Amino acid sequence: MKGFLNRLRGVERDIIQMPVEDTAAGPYYEAQGNEIEIFEAAYKKRLPVMLKGPTGCGKTRFLEAMAWRLQRPLVTVSCHEDLTSSDLVGRFLLEGEQTVWQDGPLTRAVKAGAICYLDEIVEARTDSTVIIHPLTDHRRQLPLEKKGQEIEAHEDFMLVISYNPGYQTVLKDLKPSTKQRFIGIDFNYPNEDIERKILRNEVPELAEAQLAPLVAAGRRARTLKDHGLDEATSTRALVYAANMMAAGITPLEACKAALVSPVTDDPELAEALLEIIRAHFS
Amino acid sequence: MSSTEILAEIQQVLADLEKISFVAHRDTQSALGAIQPYGDETVLEWVKACKALFEHDRDAGKAFMRGSVAACGASNTVLPWTRQAMRFLAWRGSWKAVDGYMEQLPQAYRSLGFEGEVRWAELGLDWCERHLDSGVAYFRCPVLELEGGHGINGIEDVVLPSVELFGNRRLALGTYLSGAIRVRNLLGIEAVLPWAKRGADILQSGRLRGEAFFKLESEESMALLLENLPGFRIPEHQRLLQLVIYAWFGFNLDLLESKWSPDKGRAFVETDGVALYLPMALPDREEAMLAVLHATGHLKFHSYERRYIDALFRAAGREHPPLDAEQRITWRPLFAAYGDDMIRFQLIFDICEDTRVDEQIGRHIPNYRQRLLRAADAAAIVDGPAAAYFRWARDLLQWTIEGAPADPVFEPLRPLLSNDANIVDAFRIANELYKHTDLPAIALLARDQAFLPGRSPNAARPVYPRRMLDQAEFGTGLEDQEDVVKNQEIKPNPEQKQIPKHAAGEDPDFDIPPEETAGSGGRVGVGIPQPAHVLGYAKGAEYSEKGKPYAEWDYRDNRYKRNWAWVQEKTLTELDANEATRLLAQYAPALQRLKRAIQTQKPIRMAPLRRQFDGDELDLEASITYVVEKRAGMSPQANIYRQRVVQYRDTAVVLLADMSTSIMQACAEGGGKVVDRIRAAMLLFAESMEEVGDPYGLAGFASKYRDNVSYYTIKGFDETLTSHTRAVLGGLTGRLATRMGAAIRHAVASFDRAPSARRLLLILSDGRPADYDDGGDERYLHEDTRMAVKEAGDAGIHVFCITLDAAGSEYLPQIFGAGHYLVLDHINDLPKKLPEIYLRLRK
Ligand SMILES: Nc1ncnc2c1ncn2[C@@H]1O[C@H](COP(=O)(O)OP(=O)(O)O)[C@@H](O)[C@H]1O
Ligand SMILES: [Mg+2]
Repeated sequence: MKGFLNRLRGVERDIIQMPVEDTAAGPYYEAQGNEIEIFEAAYKKRLPVMLKGPTGCGKTRFLEAMAWRLQRPLVTVSCHEDLTSSDLVGRFLLEGEQTVWQDGPLTRAVKAGAICYLDEIVEARTDSTVIIHPLTDHRRQLPLEKKGQEIEAHEDFMLVISYNPGYQTVLKDLKPSTKQRFIGIDFNYPNEDIERKILRNEVPELAEAQLAPLVAAGRRARTLKDHGLDEATSTRALVYAANMMAAGITPLEACKAALVSPVTDDPELAEALLEIIRAHFS
Repeated sequence: MSSTEILAEIQQVLADLEKISFVAHRDTQSALGAIQPYGDETVLEWVKACKALFEHDRDAGKAFMRGSVAACGASNTVLPWTRQAMRFLAWRGSWKAVDGYMEQLPQAYRSLGFEGEVRWAELGLDWCERHLDSGVAYFRCPVLELEGGHGINGIEDVVLPSVELFGNRRLALGTYLSGAIRVRNLLGIEAVLPWAKRGADILQSGRLRGEAFFKLESEESMALLLENLPGFRIPEHQRLLQLVIYAWFGFNLDLLESKWSPDKGRAFVETDGVALYLPMALPDREEAMLAVLHATGHLKFHSYERRYIDALFRAAGREHPPLDAEQRITWRPLFAAYGDDMIRFQLIFDICEDTRVDEQIGRHIPNYRQRLLRAADAAAIVDGPAAAYFRWARDLLQWTIEGAPADPVFEPLRPLLSNDANIVDAFRIANELYKHTDLPAIALLARDQAFLPGRSPNAARPVYPRRMLDQAEFGTGLEDQEDVVKNQEIKPNPEQKQIPKHAAGEDPDFDIPPEETAGSGGRVGVGIPQPAHVLGYAKGAEYSEKGKPYAEWDYRDNRYKRNWAWVQEKTLTELDANEATRLLAQYAPALQRLKRAIQTQKPIRMAPLRRQFDGDELDLEASITYVVEKRAGMSPQANIYRQRVVQYRDTAVVLLADMSTSIMQACAEGGGKVVDRIRAAMLLFAESMEEVGDPYGLAGFASKYRDNVSYYTIKGFDETLTSHTRAVLGGLTGRLATRMGAAIRHAVASFDRAPSARRLLLILSDGRPADYDDGGDERYLHEDTRMAVKEAGDAGIHVFCITLDAAGSEYLPQIFGAGHYLVLDHINDLPKKLPEIYLRLRK
């Protein structure tokens, strides 16, 4: 499997890829609750899904794992404020004297029966979020306004969006009319046992004696979320810290680099976080 | 001289002495035995000195003779100090100096050595030469105190700065010395010189003030001392400690400054059951951390629970002591039974209870007990009875860390390690141990040294009994309260003045009946309640005069009460342009940084408008699309331009400030009142908004009863920021309570005039919604506010709350929703943070 993946590195690939049919190769995902069942049920009924939760808690990983499980290609679009509907749907291009229509990623997913993941959808302009409406109800259609056409979605197509209800998005919250079209799955940072398991799996080289305090420290650090931290310590950050430690950096330095300095510039808060880390590794 | 001649000479001198004074002769004779072993020549020189000194000044001579035996014993010499003593002959009336000199001489030899003694005497003799009284002060100062463990260098460092002070300012050594020694002892030798220099400046501005400074009698010298205390300085780390407490225990505590000063003994963290009292400084960071965690642990693990305190007194066979005037319990009666041996028992009891609590904390905080032990191992143990307690406590701690293996000595303490042990068990076990202990008797003075670093006397202060457990058993503790108010109509009720927590305090408006606060409102000047002109106002008058009514949500009936809260628009008439100017000057650097940040953000945020029908540049992407679509046979719209004009911004914001009484409180972080920061924050916000260019409004609100909610529009969307607006902000004061729901509804209505599509209501508050007539039912106005926020959302207005209440995260999520509030626990940051928060929100 590694060898196969390595051959793919640095090579252009089409965005629509069937998952590799190798049972050992599925992306590692540790379930936190019944999200897998919920997702599978939603998929069975082709209902669109909304993954809600803070950054770095495993939403993307979950979807990768689900796509692999359901053997569907996954198309991911990271949304940003300049993302227009043409970026999603497609546009005309010039080719010699001809004009040709080029499908956007959403259109391609709709045609190919892929899972289309619109990551951080609130970042996109509202006009781009409206075009997904007809895709999310019983119609399952994508209008191609420019071409004066519409597409019935492939029977396997599924739309998934993610969003992070943090305070930066207060003004950009999704319209209730958009939100209610989705099956919501709430994500949060996993519980302590699971978080340890995740780290053990992601960074197998990390010594067990360092793993437990790292996870405990990360969880403790999350309690300061409301006290000036915009983003709490994420599982991703813990994985980073674990990697740094496995690479030979001392726990304190690794945590400082992965858990403290990226999340705050406030010296007192940084001190408090360090105090927590120190206590665990003392 | 032959030896016989010498002997004859000695006899002669002695005979002369006898002629002069019987006492002198007798004293010389009695010391002679000690001198004789050093040989006749030495004896001769010594008796001559006796005579010379006696003739010079009788008292000097007597002091010399009487001190000789001890001096001889300490130095094993005679001549060096005899010759030193002879130098006092140079000054008239020097007997006091000789007296001090002879008295200190043995100690000088013992602690400074031979050379050190020479230097010591030299310094003193120089002072006699300079100013005899200073010389006296010098020699009278016990050598041990003077050197303070630093040897002769210590003496030089303390004394030399005063030479210059005397030269320039005629400051006598006597005025300076004891203060200087204390400063050196408290702050270390390096602190003496800066302290003396500061004192010299003060001396220049006035003799009395200067002398008071040097004697450490004045406030300013004490303050200077405290400011320079070495170690981990608590005031600078207040917030860190607060965050750490929150992280480990999940609650906030007030951290207050205790009245400790270094000469009152060891610095401890104490608690009164509600707040922690912290000294100005603790020896180091680790001890400070441990001490704060330990003291918080006492609160968390119920050392001060009401029921246990009751049980303690019962166990001690005493009546529950009456609470003091402040509803606190004093511990004294609990220990009275132990009479003179009280301290011994208290220490044993403290060790037992601390063992229990530290065990609990240890389950909670990894490595906590290990750190405690490490600190104890590193600490220097002070000899004396306290050392026995210290070692015992340390060994006991070690035993618990090792997992409490079978051990006959510590076995009786095992029950304290159980999860269900409480302070009563500690008391019981302490009493058992006390019966058989071989720990020494100990006096109060020695007690401080008995505690491991991080621990402290548990009964140091009277405590407010806690009621956490009572509440835990009944749920949140709010339920029974709710039962009381259930179905009881909440109505304006001037007789039954219920003062909500956050409305209480020094409230200049409180005594004005509600009828009088209505009208155009406000007061003139600060602190002088002055009813505004009330024209033809009476209860039951027209609605127009009562203001605008809004519905209020009653969660108990699950319905709205129509026309319930009445909001009156009022103008603030207290202007303070000077304050505004002062604040803007004070925050000028912060404002400048903000403006720069806003400008650098501008090009991104104010991106040129794309896809316009006209403009000065082509929108490349749009143009290509246009061409392509045209070729494809479509008829695209020609919106292919970009516009560089200042764009129509799409966010409008109202900043709504809670102006209740509580903002008049002093900042916990010190440096003025909360309102000062709110003024500055609103000013900075306004100035930043001018730079951002978004339409914005400023308003405040306060309330007293449901029919009297005041809404102060400080600046509307269509108004410009003027010096009048700034003066209003500069004169902002707090009054009355916080009926937030009504204020939100009114603010929402004000957005009718806002030009933008995205609308944000930013609430700045320092506490829960509460009013005088909510019957103490916190939930009532919480629920109403929650509904008001929901209504705002339905009206397309986002509500976001910024609070200064550290406990905000307990209730704000329910009211505003997760992610729709921010707890700012560093109030001094508010002015700078407020505009930043807005910028992040509008991104
Ligand atoms: N439940 C999980 N199972 C496996 N890995 C996880 C899980 N949750 C988090 N992770 C780790 O955290 C990282 C970040 O997760 P990601 O899915 O990118 O977060 P999100 O999409 O929510 O921002 C992943 O790369 C993975 O290492
Ligand atoms: Mg204690």
